[in-house]
Amino acid sequence: MARHDPLLPNAGIVARREYRDRTRSPLFLASTVLLAILAMIVAVAPIGIRYLDRQTVTRIAVVSSDPELAQRSVDIAENLLNVPPGGVADPQWKRPYAVEVASDSESAAALLRAGAIGGILVVDRLATGQVSVALRTFEGASSARSQILGVAAFGIGVLDWHARLPPGQTVPFVPASFTVESMNIATDGGRPLDAQEAASRGFLGIIFVVLLFITIVIYGMWVATGVAAEKSSRVMELMISAASPRQMLAGKVVGIGAAGLTQYVAIALPALILIMFQDRIAEAILGPDWASGAPLVGLTPNLLLGYGVFFMLGFTLFALIYAAMGSFVSRPDDLQTLSLPLSLVAMVGYLTAIVALGGGGGAWVTVASFLPPFSPFVMLARIMVSAVEPWQVLLSIVLLVVAIAVTAVVATRMYAAGVLLYGTRPGLRAFVAAARKA
Amino acid sequence: MSLEIDHVTKRFGTTVALDGLAFEVARGEVFGFLGANGAGKTTTMRICLGIIRADAGAIRWDGRPTEDVPRRTWGYLPEERGLYPRMGVLDQLVYYGSLYGMAPDAARRDALAWLTRFRIPEYADRRAEELSKGNQQKVQFIAAVLHDPEVLLMDEPFTGLDPVNLVLLREAFTELRDRGRTLIFSTHQMEAAEALCESVAIVDHGRLVAGGRVRDLKRASGRRTLRLAGDGELGADWLSDLPGVVGLRPDHGGFALELLPGADSAVILAAVLDHGASVTRFEVVEPTLEALFIEHVGRPSDEGSTLAPELAQPSLSTGGAI
Repeated sequence: MARHDPLLPNAGIVARREYRDRTRSPLFLASTVLLAILAMIVAVAPIGIRYLDRQTVTRIAVVSSDPELAQRSVDIAENLLNVPPGGVADPQWKRPYAVEVASDSESAAALLRAGAIGGILVVDRLATGQVSVALRTFEGASSARSQILGVAAFGIGVLDWHARLPPGQTVPFVPASFTVESMNIATDGGRPLDAQEAASRGFLGIIFVVLLFITIVIYGMWVATGVAAEKSSRVMELMISAASPRQMLAGKVVGIGAAGLTQYVAIALPALILIMFQDRIAEAILGPDWASGAPLVGLTPNLLLGYGVFFMLGFTLFALIYAAMGSFVSRPDDLQTLSLPLSLVAMVGYLTAIVALGGGGGAWVTVASFLPPFSPFVMLARIMVSAVEPWQVLLSIVLLVVAIAVTAVVATRMYAAGVLLYGTRPGLRAFVAAARKA
Repeated sequence: MSLEIDHVTKRFGTTVALDGLAFEVARGEVFGFLGANGAGKTTTMRICLGIIRADAGAIRWDGRPTEDVPRRTWGYLPEERGLYPRMGVLDQLVYYGSLYGMAPDAARRDALAWLTRFRIPEYADRRAEELSKGNQQKVQFIAAVLHDPEVLLMDEPFTGLDPVNLVLLREAFTELRDRGRTLIFSTHQMEAAEALCESVAIVDHGRLVAGGRVRDLKRASGRRTLRLAGDGELGADWLSDLPGVVGLRPDHGGFALELLPGADSAVILAAVLDHGASVTRFEVVEPTLEALFIEHVGRPSDEGSTLAPELAQPSLSTGGAI
């Protein structure tokens, strides 16, 4: 551009109009209310699940011709299936499984068919002396419950062998202890998180990454459609003489970003308040025996700040590219096709982040957590579930800011050329030519 | 004190939009920028506004390159009309005024005054999409003049206006000129240009083919128009064959004959009387602006307007129109 206008105040004036235009539309209001209700439902969902869990006890019947063997099987299966959360026994905690000896095989089979019990453990001694354990269930052999009962069968065998040793050769059976030691434990301010917090972080991480992806793609499309609509309604013709492309682009990204942030806060705030008070809510619903830890204890101000920073930077980066794309279409209809590659790029970041939340991904996750435009998703996921050095977070943010600066220059050039381009279907050549010529 | 278009050249791909275009507009003048579609009018205006850059040459206002002239110096009414469809008319005008540095209160007050002047104050709080095309055009004109620019560039300002609104717009032009503002507009309506403009530039294929004060152009042409009416034997076939006649069109129940320089009107009168026609009107006048336009461009002013509007915009891949 020949003329160099200062960014302010015009970018601010444009931003204010964009913000008002978005936030005053009935659609904005309706979607905000709807999403806020949904977020609140998600926030209390863990309490609801727990409430339902508390109500349900799965019964397993043990059928055996040997009463002693039957009782031993009940003891072992009870212990293996009813592992208290956090590995700590609690007097208030209610066991999810009830394993009991059935009176006879037929009545147990009838109960299984009726759905009253989850499975029948048939324990018999063969003529060879070997213990045979069969699980009759409607579940597959690979279900978690079947596998635990498979381990139980092994335990029954060991104990049975132990019990049949000659007197004097026996020592009391001591079960081995078992814990999982993860090598990649998340920290908060240098303090390692316990298992409960780490599990909460994983859950929160999924919520944050999904939110980030949805908001970036949706609000990014708002920017693109805003630009395309200005072009197709020919308002652009008036605007280009009143404000510079730099002012318009900055105003649009800031205004729509602020509108998006407003919606985000309106959606997240009630849900966050619910999460903050979930202990009290849970106590009210589940009673005073609610003791085994809130599901979202891992949420801290630092994480919220991290989410805020990566949302703002990620949105800015994507919004600039969306705006440049919007300037290249003559009709808003063409936008869907044109924005697909960009949505796919966001999708790669999103999926990598989901892999990172599961602890997988290896070197690619590390690289992607520094590499714009994937870094907002992936670094956020890494912060949520693993130990990340502060310098790594800082480097990721710096690289993102640099990428935004470079993108802003290119996007402004493309926007300046694109808004005057009518009647041609946009292609890669047009993009490159515009960025070079403008 | 003037706007100088100093040998400006602009190419879009292989298409030459402006080819060393040069002319000057004096401050406080109403100036007609005439040419067929694709002649380079919109491109010239866009270069003035700094929207696109010239490949060569310069445009200066009061001796300063347009890059150094504040944005609020210019007011622009583009050929393609457009307003934010769902935004209120007054809000929209205040928005544009603010972008040009006006205080919101002043913008609101002046916008209401203009709306009243254009007889649409009741539309101030309506959405733009609820207005008729003509009223939208008036709002857009207000958006262009609200910040009281020194130079007003208008692309086809009269298109789509009814006669009453045409008069209102012309009155506004005159008032702005009397306040020392410079008005430059393109149009295909030669009568409007003739009535309003002191000077014109006629461009064709990006080059100036005639320019200067309208009066001087008419004199320099040497051509005259003979307005002839009568009863009986007046016929277009033989009238156009008379010596010195180069063009003929119907005119108020008779004919307007374009005469070559030096053509003798007395010879024509004698020929008409010889045909047994009774003459009720015989008037030799200076050529119209339209006649001058046709003389220089070689075709009527709106020829070439058959392209779709979107094809008449600059385009990187096709070279585009101008």
